[in-house]
Formats: sequence, C-alpha cells, structure tokens
Amino acid sequence: MAEISEAPSTLDPDFDQENMRKSKPGLKRLTLSLAVLFSFLLGLPFLLKSIEIYRSPLPFREIDDLSTAFESSPILFPCHFRAVFVNFDPNSYTADQLSISVQAHMAKFAAKNSLACGTCASNVTVSVTLDSNSNCISNGNNVDWKCGALNEFKFAEKHEDGLLDEYLASLCDNNSGAKVYTVVVVKTEQEEVRAVVGKYRHAWIMGRIFEEEAIEKIAEIFVNVFVNGGKEEGLIHGEFMPLGADGRIVLSFNLLNADPHNWIYDWDFQEIDENLLSPVIDALKPLADVSVESQVLYHTPKSSFSFWDDRLDSYIFSTKDLPFFVNSNEWHLDTSVAAGGLSKILQFVVYVPSAKECPLQLQLPNGEISTTNGFISPMWGGIVVWNPSACLMDSKIKHPLRYKISSEDSRKLFEVFMGQLRQLFGLKSDGLFVGASGTSILLASERGFSEWELDVLSRQHSCFNLLQCGTTLGSLSRLVQSLPRMIIMDDIGKQVKYSLEAARLTLSNASLGIYDASAESSRQARLLAEDAFYHPSMMSVSYYSFEHCFAVYSPFFLPVLLHVLLAVLREWKRYKQESKKYYAWKAKVK
Amino acid sequence: MGIWGSIFLLFLILISTYESFAKEGSAEELNEEFTEGLLLRPLPDRKVLAHFHFQSSVPPTRTYGRHHHLFPKSIYQLINKFRVREMELSFTQGRWNYERWGGYDPISSSNAKPPGVELWAIFDVPLDQVDASWKNLTHALSGLFCASINFLEHSTSYSAPQWSFRSFAGKLRYGTLPREAVCTENLTPWLKLLPCRDKAGISALMDRPSIYRGYYHSQRLHFTSDEYDTAKSNSGIMLEQTLTVVLQPNTLGARAMVSGKTLQPSWSLSSLFGRKVHGKCSVSKSSNVYVQFEQNLLSELKEVWKESEESERGILTHNNLWTNPIFEMSASPHRIVKEVGNSQQEDSSILYEFSVEDFNDSEPFDLGLKWKLPVAWSCQQAPLRASRFLMGSGNERGAIAISLKSSGNNNTQRVGCSENGSQLRIDIFQVVPWYVKVYYHTLKVFIDGELQSTMENIEKMHISSSEDKVSPGVMEMILRLPCGVKTAALTLEFDKGFLHIDEYPPDANQGFDIPSAVVSFTDFQASIGFEDNFLNKLPILNELQERKHVICYTEVLLVPLTTPDFSMPYNVITITCTVFALYFGSLLNALRRRVGEEERLLKSKAAKKRGPLTSILSKLFAKLTGRPIKPPETPSASPSSINYKVIVKVILVAGMAVGWQYYFR
Repeated sequence: MAEISEAPSTLDPDFDQENMRKSKPGLKRLTLSLAVLFSFLLGLPFLLKSIEIYRSPLPFREIDDLSTAFESSPILFPCHFRAVFVNFDPNSYTADQLSISVQAHMAKFAAKNSLACGTCASNVTVSVTLDSNSNCISNGNNVDWKCGALNEFKFAEKHEDGLLDEYLASLCDNNSGAKVYTVVVVKTEQEEVRAVVGKYRHAWIMGRIFEEEAIEKIAEIFVNVFVNGGKEEGLIHGEFMPLGADGRIVLSFNLLNADPHNWIYDWDFQEIDENLLSPVIDALKPLADVSVESQVLYHTPKSSFSFWDDRLDSYIFSTKDLPFFVNSNEWHLDTSVAAGGLSKILQFVVYVPSAKECPLQLQLPNGEISTTNGFISPMWGGIVVWNPSACLMDSKIKHPLRYKISSEDSRKLFEVFMGQLRQLFGLKSDGLFVGASGTSILLASERGFSEWELDVLSRQHSCFNLLQCGTTLGSLSRLVQSLPRMIIMDDIGKQVKYSLEAARLTLSNASLGIYDASAESSRQARLLAEDAFYHPSMMSVSYYSFEHCFAVYSPFFLPVLLHVLLAVLREWKRYKQESKKYYAWKAKVK
Repeated sequence: MGIWGSIFLLFLILISTYESFAKEGSAEELNEEFTEGLLLRPLPDRKVLAHFHFQSSVPPTRTYGRHHHLFPKSIYQLINKFRVREMELSFTQGRWNYERWGGYDPISSSNAKPPGVELWAIFDVPLDQVDASWKNLTHALSGLFCASINFLEHSTSYSAPQWSFRSFAGKLRYGTLPREAVCTENLTPWLKLLPCRDKAGISALMDRPSIYRGYYHSQRLHFTSDEYDTAKSNSGIMLEQTLTVVLQPNTLGARAMVSGKTLQPSWSLSSLFGRKVHGKCSVSKSSNVYVQFEQNLLSELKEVWKESEESERGILTHNNLWTNPIFEMSASPHRIVKEVGNSQQEDSSILYEFSVEDFNDSEPFDLGLKWKLPVAWSCQQAPLRASRFLMGSGNERGAIAISLKSSGNNNTQRVGCSENGSQLRIDIFQVVPWYVKVYYHTLKVFIDGELQSTMENIEKMHISSSEDKVSPGVMEMILRLPCGVKTAALTLEFDKGFLHIDEYPPDANQGFDIPSAVVSFTDFQASIGFEDNFLNKLPILNELQERKHVICYTEVLLVPLTTPDFSMPYNVITITCTVFALYFGSLLNALRRRVGEEERLLKSKAAKKRGPLTSILSKLFAKLTGRPIKPPETPSASPSSINYKVIVKVILVAGMAVGWQYYFR
C-alpha cells in the first residue's frame, strides 16, 4: 500500500515520521493512471483516422516533372525537307555540299526567331536531288524523286501556278508516310525569279538563279514558311488559337440589321453553308470539330459613333472606335446550346448599317479606307460592315423593303470571313510572304487552309495543348497541396493519371513526327487536365474543418485529459517521494 | 402508236406542270412567320387585362434546313438537343382572380397560371431517357431565363402525371416552383426571343415599371414541335409567347360619378403603359391590337342603351358601336369581329380590331377608351369555383381540403348537364412534396355538406404515393358530381415529416409551399368562335378559338413544418461531452483516492493547528457564553431535528412551487 504508514505503534527514536517509511511504496494507482493515459494515446490514431477526409493520391512528382519539362524545353517535332535542283550544273556542287549549306542557312534563320513551340527540332534532315538532263544525283536514303519528270511539264504557260501545283503534288505524293516538305528549284532563262508556295507541301522557285541564292531562298522557305507558317510579328500568337479544350469550334454567323425600319436584309445561309463552308470544315477536320450556326438579328445598332466625311462621301469609323463597336447590350449573339462545356465560339458578324449611317466605312490609321471594311477581335471573332446598295438612293420608304444579299455579295463576304478566320488562327490572309530574300506567293487553297498550314497549326496546337495541360496540372497540384482539408475524389485522381498518360503519348508521337495523332492525344491530355481541375467536387473543401473538429471534441477531451495528466503527474511525484522515504529508512536500518 | 405516244407525253407534261405548281404552292407556305398581337379587355373591377401574344413558326428542318431568319436560335437548339415535343414555361406573379376576372374564357384557362414558375415538357426520347432529358432541359432553361429552374432537377420536385394533366403518359414531366420571384431579369431573356425585342412593335409597350406594377403578371412560353415525328405531314415548330398583365388604370383625382354610380375608369395605352406604339415590328406578318367586350358586358351595355335610348334620341346601329352614349374609343376600329356559335346567349362577345401598321414615330398609335355612363357587369365564371386550404393546427398533422363551390350563375345546370347526362366531370391533379405525408385512405368527399361514400363519386383515381427524399406524392382523380351541386369538398389528412438538417432552406421558418392543384372541367370548352374564316390565320384569334378545357389553379398552400434549433447538434455535443468528462474525472479521482490516509491527515491537521481566525473566534465565543473552550467536535445533531429541518425545507419549496403555478396560470 502506497500510503503513509500507520501511526507507529512502537516509538522508534530513529524513525523520522516525516521523511521515512518502512514499506515499499505501492504501484497500483500509478499503473492505473498510466494505463489510462496510454489508452488515450493509443486511441488517438483511431480518432484521427475517423475524422480523416478522403484524398485520392495524386502523382505530384510526375506532374511537377512534366510541367518543368514543358517549361524548360518546348516540344519540337522532327521535320524532313527535300530540295530538288532542276537543270543545275551537276559539277559545280555535289548534293552533299548543297545539303550541308542549306542546313547551315536554315540554322541561321531559325536562330533569328528563337525556338518557338511546335517548330522543328534541330535534327532536321535535308535531302538534295540534283536533276539535270544528263544525270540525277541525290543524297539521303529515301529520295524517290522521279528524275526528269519536270521536263515533261511545259513551262511555257507561265502563270499556270495551279496546274503546276497539282502536277508537283502528283510527283511528290509518292511517299505517303512521312511528311516531306519539298522545294523545287528550276533554272530557266527567265529574268524574273518567281517563288511560289503551293497548296500542298511543296514550293517551287523558277528563273535565272544561282546556287547560292537558291540555297538561301530554300532555307528561308523551309524555316519561315513551312515550319513557322509564314507568320510575322504582331499577328496572333499560337497560344491564342481559337480552339476549345475539347477541340470544338462553333462558328456562329450573325447578320445584324441595325435598323429594320430602313431596310431588312436577309441571306441564304443554307447555300453558303453547303457550298462555301463545308470544304473549310472538312479541311479543318483533323484539327478541330467545327460546327456552324447562323441567325439574323434586328434592331442592333453599333455602340460607337461615326461621322460624315465629305471627301470620302461616306460615314467613317476609325480604328480607335473599334473597341466600342460591338454593342454587347443589344447584340445578343452568344446563346448557343451547342457550345456547352469547353468548346469555343467564334462570332462572325455582318453589320448592315441603318440609313442614317450609310455607307459606313472603316478608316485605317494611314487615312485610307479599309478594303474589307471589317476587323477581327482575337478569340472573339470578326466583324464586317456591309453597306447595302440601296443606301445611296436615300428614299423615304414608309414600309421597309426586304432584300436578300445576293449570292455574289455573300461570296465576297464569305471571302472576308475566311481571311478573318485565317487571321484568328494566326495565319496570313494576304497570300504573300515577304522574306529577307524576296517575296513568295502563297497559293490560296479553295478549302481555306493549305496542307502545310494545317501541319503548322496542328503542331502548334499540340504544343500549346501540352503547355496548357502542364500548367493546369501544375496549378492543380499546388492547389491540392495548399489545402490539406480538401476532398479529392477518385475521379480526379483517375483523370490526372490519364491526362499524364496522354501527355506522354503526345510526346512520343511528336518525336515520331505524327502530327495528327499528337494533336489528338494532346487535346485529350488538356481536356482531362481541365476536367480534373474543373471537376464539380473539386472545391468541396470539407465542411468539417479543423476548427470545427476542435470545437466538437474539446468539451470532452480537454477536461478529461486534464484529469488524466494531473493524475499521472501527481502519482508519479508521490511515488518518487515515497520511494525516497523508503530508501532513507532502509539506509537508516542498515 | 404516235397518238398514244403524244398522249403519254402530254400526260407527262401535265404531271410535271402540276408538280411544279404544287411546289410553288408549298414554297409559299414554307416560310418562317412572326406575328404579334395585343388583346385588351376591361375587367369588371375597374382593371384592364392586357394580353400580349407573339408567335413564331418555322417549317420542319427536313424541308427548310437548320438556318433561320426569324426563329430564335436558342429555342431551336433547345428543341433539337433535348428532343422536346412540347413545352410550356410560365413565370407568374400574383394570383389570377377567377371570381372577378373570369374563369370561363380562353385567356383564363390558358394564361392564368400558378404563382412562381410552372414547367411541363413532353419529350420525344425513349422512356428511360426522359428523366435525363428533363434534368438537362431544366439546367438549360435556367441559364436561358436567369431563373432557378434547375431546382426542378431533383426527383423530389417534379412528377410524371399519367393522364389528368395531358395525355402523354410516361413522356411528360411537370414541375412547379411556387416561390420563384419573377422580375425583369426573366422578362429580358424572354424578350430576346422576339425578333424586335422591345425595340419596335407592340412589345415596345412593355415598360417595366408599368407592367410590374400590375395585379397579375404572367409570362408564358409554349412551343410544339413535330421534328421527330415519323409522320410525313410535319408542321415544324410553333413558338408562342404570351404576356398577360392585369393593370389598374390611373384615375387621377376622385372617381368620376354619374347619377350616383361610379364610372368605369377611362384608359388609354399611354396611361396604362406609359408608352405608345410607334408602328409595327418590321418583320412581323401582322400586328393588331384588339379590344374585347365580353358577352356579359355587351348584354349589360344593351340594357343601358335601351334606357338611354328613351332619354336620348338617335338610332344606334351596330356599326358605330365605338362611339355611342356609353363609351367612346379614340380611334375607329379597322374591323369588328363578332363571336359566333355561342347559341345559348343571344349576346356574344365582340372584338374591335385596330391595326398598328400605318402608324409611325410622328403619329404614334394610342388607343383610348372613355366611359360615359356607369356600367356594372360580371365575368363568366367556371362551373365551380375551386379553392384549397389547410385544416388542423400544430406541427404534427393536418388536412388538405379542396372545396368546389357553385359560382352562382346557371351555366352549370345548363351546359354541364345537358351534354353529359346528370353528372359533372371534374379532373383534379395535385402534387404534394414528400415531407407532407398524405394518407390517401383518409380521402373524404363531401357533397353539399354531407359525407359521401368515397367511391361513389370518384370515377377514376391514380395515386403514386410519395417516397421519402425520392419522389413527391401525385394524386390524379376524376370526380363525378351530381348536377345541381352547390358545394363539394375533398379532404385528405397528412402528417408532417421531418427533414434532415441539411434539407431546410435558408428561411426555414417561413414554411413550405405545396404547389397549386389543377382543377379542370373537361366537359366545358373555353373558346370563342369567330365568324370570319379568313381571320383564322391570325394567331391571337386562333388562340382564342382553340378549344380547350376550362382549367383553374388553386391557391398555393403554405405548410409550417417543425423548425429545429439549428445550433442544437452542437449544444448536444457540448453537454454530453461535459457530462462524460465530469463522470470520467470523478471516476478517475475516486479510483486513485486514499481514504484512510486523507482522514488521518485531516485529523492530524485539525489536532495540530487550527487557523488563527477560528481559534480567536472560539475564544471569543467562549468568553461571551462563559463556557470553556471545547475542541471542535463533529456536528452530531439529533436525527429528529434534522428530519424536522428537512421537512420544513421540502414544504417551503413545495409551497413556492404551488404558489408559482397558481399565480402564473
């Protein structure tokens, strides 16, 4: 018994009642208090387990690796080029020499515009074929240029670019597997040197041209046209390509009648859709899933002012007014059930001005009148002001007349829209490429986009998709790590996993040079990443927060733990004190 | 052979020309159309009913294509995405006063709607996809109309009526939100669907403060589509938008009195709406304004006319009905349309048609109606007046009662019973949320105050009882009442359920709404037939002419449910934990207590030293009493005295309690 001993029956003079005891102090109460304390400590993990929230494990390290990898080095694709020299002297240069000097020039051009996303890696292959009447020399392994084939083509018809384009396409189309960009240089007796970029993956240069000049031109066409898409500074950056995360675009065409009291214009959009738009949609199919819708709206005035200019005999709005042109209060363009989720809408607006502002012209900063009378707003769409022919008549009609935009006019309008769409995608719309070594003509495809342009777009698209995917996953992982009480469902974990897998697949596809597949898988990666980030359960931070938990459990645990701890402390102190007494007595007895 | 050949050729030519003619003829019809109209009607209680009607129609996609010039794109996409065959959405504020504003005309049957939002839709999808389509549709509409229609997504808030509401069993879904507040944010997207919005035409009258100041406001959107019908004769999509408002004309100063009776207030478009019509919407096919005089008003007018004819001279024919001694209209009507086919009464309602086409900004159209003689009339009533109320008190149980009262005029006996033997058929459709647990076996039917055996009067009944947190209870019923019935009542008892703490809305103390019940009199058709056949092309007249059952909606009921103290769970946790902690602490202390030792310590302490204060006190006490100082002893009072004290205390407390009770009763 760990008690202070009973009053001593025999008065021992040596026995100090205060400081000694004869019996060993007991352990019963100490063990009891310790047992209670330890059982509490053992129960603690179970309690913590019971108030735990579910967090699906996310591969944080892989995400970080991926996003840092994307940021440090842009995704580059391997590219194959081929230069064909026709009618050149085979003795002056060998094919290998030509190939090396073309590559050197290409490196020079590529250095000028730093390695942008979606361009070609440094491992470009340039094969050169020298095709002259007598012999045909080529370096590289997979060159299947049909030598002497061009001689069959009659160059007499000089301006038949389209015919030559088709002919070259039939020549180059033999190797359908890898995408090879070809430049054919034909030495003729003409003074003027013409450089034309075709609708497919080839270009040709004709005229009296020497090797050095030709090499520089070839290198420029390779780098600046075929790889970079003929872009200039100031055009829309590839990052802002108007493509939804799910690869869908809705092209919404709107005909706005500013004031139907004056006149009402209508269009036959069915015809435009069938005849003019469907080839473009087909052409864009590998890149995006395009859907088209249209509407006609009435009573939609613009919200900027225009003024009358006597010299130009029309109402003028200048480029300064463009930010205020779109009247978002009155132009209700944007309700579309088709554009649900992450897809992108591009609005194309035909604005028919009212009688009191007709004809309405756009004045460029240099004082000239815009020929297209339209403008684009990046990521939003394009606007064309179409002045009706009736506006000059200035007749006071009581009842508005209904007109139909003639098919000629609608074709013109559509051409402007096509140019605007190309600009929105970051491509050139004027059909000319002005380089350091001269101007090249870009042949316009009747499908709106030529094949090499689509290649450029799909390369850029997959690259920026991957970048976007990396940043999205990076912010997801940062968010998740910064909020420890956030519930993460299994769905999110799965989406992140699949997104990472798709990103890896894209990288492997890109290194193999399969553009379409890499665009597809990059889109998948980005879509999954964004789905994970915007998952409805994402921000469901547990309502049962730590403060809440503390408030619920503290009324029980605070007083109880106080009791237990105090009991343990007291018993421990007492045990030490009593055992000291006992040892003092023992020492005395001895 | 040659003759036969030429005949055959002729035949071919004939056929081809015929076909081309047919094509031209059909091409004429195949076009989008938009029409607008406004119907104004003076109401007996000095108010004016204004009913805006807009209709857009589009030929089927198969022949016309999917690009439209007038039809709203968003509605077309909605129909195509969710494959909706028919849908009606209404936003209503205020309650239609069936007694004063009529219950037997086409406008009250199709445009008197329950307060808040009502949505029903029929889908053209397989049966198992209907619910999914409904959910998506509610979300789309919610975004389109800036309303919380998405709350109709939960299976507790919508139902699938079998036969009483419409006859598309299985593919019809019906839901209401009685507490939805309706305001301009719902009207603006609704106006966006009109080609001219409120910029031109009749819709320019919709001045927001004026139309929301009214007593009743109901905006409705209804469309039918047969895009997915396999039948060949498709008519395309028909979108009908109506806005029904009941306004009080501004009568400046005191009410005008003529010979002791109050004159009806005179009004004009500008005094009602604060705006005028500046011509029609340029793309609309027709835009007319109608003023309707009901048959009761007309017969009343004739009475007054006869009286005044004696005093005033002049023979008044029907032709100049718009300027007469009783009332005067500011413009001469374009045309007068009379109702036909109402053989029971000799008087039939009359419509004055005004076309706004010839008006423009310089001379806007402002129709006015000025009363010169007092007229009093009453509207045509539905055969029975339906109302619904709650019975019982307390938070535990109650009863719902639907009462049907004869509206007093005689058309019950005449119409209902001549057509259908001696019975009056009434369809009732009622949806009750799951937390109001209705016991359908307690259904009682009272006719003229007497309890009837239930099955005698119920011809058909379909009940799907509610399931907790899954589906609401639906009751559909066909009631047969004898002909000369004065009153009829249905009662149903219910228990109030308990909701989970999460399921209470933010304003839980306000109570919960039971949506309106729909009472329809299927024997009665509310329609106005018109004499001119060529007028049938005007949609607003078509709407009036369409034969529809007389329908009325009952009141929304407000059921108070037990509202918990929302801080209660935490209080319970705290108190329980405190009790547990106390118990645990005392148990632990008891376990490690050393009783013997403590006693000994106490004794030794007491023996050794007493506090200086107590010793001084005891000394003082000893001095005062003259007794020697006693060592403190254990207080051992006699047990009898303890008992006595305890008893006194108990009696005191009991007396106080009794006094308290008595005093505060």
